[in-house]
Amino acid sequence: MGLRGYLLKRALNTFVLICFVITLNFVIFQALPGTSGLIANIIQNPKVHDPTVIEHFETLYGICKSFVNHQCIPASLLDRFTKYFVNMLTFQFGLSYQTGHPIVYDMITTGRLENTLLLLGVSTTLALLVGLFLGVLAAAKRGSIFDTGWVTTSLVTFSLPTFWMGLLAIFIFAQQLQWFPSGGVTPTTWISGKPPLLTQLFVRAQYLFLPAAVLTLFFYGGNLLITRATVLMELNSDYITTARAKGLSERTVLFKHALKNASLPIVTNAALAFGGLLGGAIITETIFNWDGLGFWIYNSIGFKDIPVMQAMFYLIALCVIFANFVSDILYGVLDPRIKYE
Amino acid sequence: MNEDKGTARTPRVPFILVRSWNFIRQVLSNKLALVGAVMLFVFVFMAAAAPILTPYPPQGQVVSGPLAAPVWVKYFRGDAGLSENVNFANPTASAGTGVTLNSQTPNGADSVKMLVTTASGGPVAVKESVNYPYTGSPLRFIGGVGMTLPGTSTGNITALLFVDRYDSNNQFLKRYDLWTFSGPANSTFREGIDSYNQELLAILGISGAGTSAPDFIFSAPGQYVYTFEITLPAGFNGNILVQNFELQLFGNTFGNLGTDAGGQDIFTQFVYGARLSLYVGLFATFIGIGLGLVIGLMAGYLGKFVDEVLMRFTDMMLVIPTLPLLIVLSFILGPSINTVVLILGFLGWMGFARLVRSQVLSLRERPFIEAAKASGAGTSYILTKHVFPNIIALLYVNLALSVPAAIVSEAALSFLGLGDQSLITWGKMLELARSAGTTTGLTWWWIIPPGLGIALLSLSFILIGYSLDELFNPRLRRRR
Repeated sequence: MGLRGYLLKRALNTFVLICFVITLNFVIFQALPGTSGLIANIIQNPKVHDPTVIEHFETLYGICKSFVNHQCIPASLLDRFTKYFVNMLTFQFGLSYQTGHPIVYDMITTGRLENTLLLLGVSTTLALLVGLFLGVLAAAKRGSIFDTGWVTTSLVTFSLPTFWMGLLAIFIFAQQLQWFPSGGVTPTTWISGKPPLLTQLFVRAQYLFLPAAVLTLFFYGGNLLITRATVLMELNSDYITTARAKGLSERTVLFKHALKNASLPIVTNAALAFGGLLGGAIITETIFNWDGLGFWIYNSIGFKDIPVMQAMFYLIALCVIFANFVSDILYGVLDPRIKYE
Repeated sequence: MNEDKGTARTPRVPFILVRSWNFIRQVLSNKLALVGAVMLFVFVFMAAAAPILTPYPPQGQVVSGPLAAPVWVKYFRGDAGLSENVNFANPTASAGTGVTLNSQTPNGADSVKMLVTTASGGPVAVKESVNYPYTGSPLRFIGGVGMTLPGTSTGNITALLFVDRYDSNNQFLKRYDLWTFSGPANSTFREGIDSYNQELLAILGISGAGTSAPDFIFSAPGQYVYTFEITLPAGFNGNILVQNFELQLFGNTFGNLGTDAGGQDIFTQFVYGARLSLYVGLFATFIGIGLGLVIGLMAGYLGKFVDEVLMRFTDMMLVIPTLPLLIVLSFILGPSINTVVLILGFLGWMGFARLVRSQVLSLRERPFIEAAKASGAGTSYILTKHVFPNIIALLYVNLALSVPAAIVSEAALSFLGLGDQSLITWGKMLELARSAGTTTGLTWWWIIPPGLGIALLSLSFILIGYSLDELFNPRLRRRR
């Protein structure tokens, strides 16, 4: 089997996974307390009282097949599942109980998606860069105080609970030293009018700093450790000796030769750790009131906003599945030594 | 080994004990494992001895003012502005002019019974005196008084509750009235005093002044006398019972770890939190490891179709992000500590199942299994008697290494408000500290202990787990 077969197999596997997630999502929310938990939750929702609105909801979520004099004729489980499946695949998540808007609309127009992408993007990049750099240096200075110091530090920050690190960061840097705001994405005064662009950028960076720092701290340790381990393995290779014998500077040897060859497991590991990062993002966003997708999940728990929870769980799982797929492909495409079975 | 010979000579000790003891000694010879074991022992002791370590129940008892700092803060900051709890107790009665006090019998620390006769009418007073040694005023005071007069008395009485303040030379400085009463002489009443009460501020004449009642009254060290004075009508004759005559001053420092925003003891919550964390961590892990063992054994030994199905399922479960799934599940199934344990257990088996399967796959081909098969042993017999003993080392290691994940996950769920609402776990403490912190600011003695507890308890299991791994895993064994 060649590369194409490998990719096809991976793609098929990914699709099966997506189906599994959708099924799981369906089954979980079927298990809501009460025989028809979903219907009960819709009707209990304070925003919905009008029978026609309820009908609208019930058809929207595929609970009722049709109506005879406002009497619901329930759809079969299979019908509901098919409808649910198609809706999920086409990103039609229904309406948020809180706002009554479609969920995709709520996600994009409120800037939640943007906020999460910003936070995750910045912290992932930082964590990768810091982890790579320190990992290479630690490997180069193996056994020194620098090495053991950073390995220990990254183990500690890796194992400390995110929510605790966040609280400590708020306590020290926002409350005691007052260097950064304790939460939020932008100041509340910006609703009435925004300052000039440069000030805006500066203030936004200030708001971003603490949550991004906490996520970076949570994430860089794994990168550092795996970089150190893979670079150490590479440093024993013959081509490194050759490079050194050619008279290349140590920096070139480390970053151009050793790191390049070690980068594949690092990137894959980063992709695989993405699921954990998303989990960390939910907590970090909650602590810092960072109005992203994670904070939205937290809020929707309080409002019993089930469509939002369903959609977010699905989207997060989708992201993780996608990250896994990308790492598989990277492995397949980038490393010519891999044999496809 | 030498130890083996030495202990083998004493035949009365059962072999299993000797072996366990040697095993434990071997594990603890690793320094990191020793550190881990000591830490774990401290937490287990805390969990087991919680009712001995702290006299208070884990929740529901107000022991001091809100957000009182730990007492030992004193040693860093000096005495300036710090106060501790002070109780007014042991009332004594005294009669004024025209009144004869025939007898007084104390009844507990806060009540006194008096037999009083008066012809012309006059005052009788009950006093509790305390030396208040602190320069800082208390955060809050609560107290009250109850009185029972004989039902046969006639006429009217007036009663006055106040605090008298004296300086260090016993010179009278000021009187602070707290409450007045007038009514028929056969009344029975009970009155509560709370420094938060707005009416009290009005009586003291400081409402809207921005000073709190404790700041106003107990502003400096000195002698304070809490007095209940009853002016009796002419011809009164009988027993007066003064009950619940108490005044508690809640200082701004309390206990080992201070108090939370509700005035509850944080040390108590911390100690009982260890119990909950250990409970959740251990039980969730037992479930997870048990499931993983069964699934791994089945997949590995039965092979073929069973293996394919189980491992596909395991892989799929491994990909799904844990925390969002945990959130969704605990939302659906409802918050209770046992539900959380079950959920964590049922989501924690995948890694171990894979490990067991790979181990079983290699064990299956070994000659001793074939020999067992050839001599007619059944599947269940081989699994329990031959395969299981060979993976028990894996079991120990994974047991130790899975506990931290369960502890941290439970704390994260509690922190997000999805834990058991009736129990104060470490995660719940952090959640409470955070939500109280949005108005008053975070307090370090409230956020550091639970987080440190989670981190250290997890660390102790990780240290023990790694050293077990080093012991059992031949690839990791160090040459000595």
